Amino acid sequence: MKTFKLENEPKIESGFKTPDHYFEDFSAKIMQQLPENEPKVISIFQKRKNILFAVAAVLVLALMIPVYTTLSTNTKTLDETTLENYITYQSNVNQYDLISELELEDINKIKTTIPIEDEAIEDVLTTNSDMEHLILE
Amino acid sequence: MQEEQEFIQELLNPKTQNEAFQKLLSVYQKPLYNHIRNIVLNHDDADDVLQNTFIKVFQYLKSFKGESKLFSWMYRIATNEALTFLNQKAKVNGVSTATLQNKAIDNLQADVFFDGNEIQLKLQKAIANLPEKQQLVFKMKYFEELKYEEISEILGTSVGALKASYHHAVKKIETFVTNAG
Repeated sequence: MKTFKLENEPKIESGFKTPDHYFEDFSAKIMQQLPENEPKVISIFQKRKNILFAVAAVLVLALMIPVYTTLSTNTKTLDETTLENYITYQSNVNQYDLISELELEDINKIKTTIPIEDEAIEDVLTTNSDMEHLILE
Repeated sequence: MQEEQEFIQELLNPKTQNEAFQKLLSVYQKPLYNHIRNIVLNHDDADDVLQNTFIKVFQYLKSFKGESKLFSWMYRIATNEALTFLNQKAKVNGVSTATLQNKAIDNLQADVFFDGNEIQLKLQKAIANLPEKQQLVFKMKYFEELKYEEISEILGTSVGALKASYHHAVKKIETFVTNAG
């Protein structure tokens, strides 16, 4: 049996072949397959989201205007003449109702000191004859 | 090394990327194909693995730190891809990688992309019986004619260990072929 020695043999090739034009086609195929280096993709919805938020905010503000105006008219303080007229001409509000609503503070506020001079009192007493009866009573 | 750095920059720059990658393909597609084909044996499988290899090279170029040469980095990717492919194929078929390789060698006789004669076929059979590491070292040294230093960079093994592996591989192959008559 002849001993096989690799170094004594002429170089043995692997014997592998490739199809014709394999490498030319391979380059083209790979270049097509490469993932493109695109700039960072921002979803169209992401972009629109901001616009939608802005539109929504404007709409909410616009809808708030009538609400605000109604609220502001409602909170207007009644002017005194309107209140006075109401109390005067509204028959179902009587004196007792008013009194029951009055607090001590309110009463104190109503109190006014009228500076009346003695002479004036005298005048009233002398000119007004009915006063005598009143005093006697 | 300086030139390689510039080339890597060209590969990373979107403006020069396509042209640079074409260049990379034209330089490395043949040696990488041969490297992969020697591992997986079948042309269609080698084609798949080569595509995956170049796509991975493209994807991971950004993280290529330049600690090793581009050449050895690409060979490393190709080797890993080819070995992973073989392991997965063996797993799917429920056989060991050795069985799968022997089957692939039996199929070589009918393969239109293999024009080997009797001694070439015997050599392939002898290689298939070697441990994985010795197979790799032998194929890279004998068929691809890479230098020990280059193989060392690719496989991360010392030159001394590679020489020992190659020596063992040659001895086993010679015994196998002699016995096969």
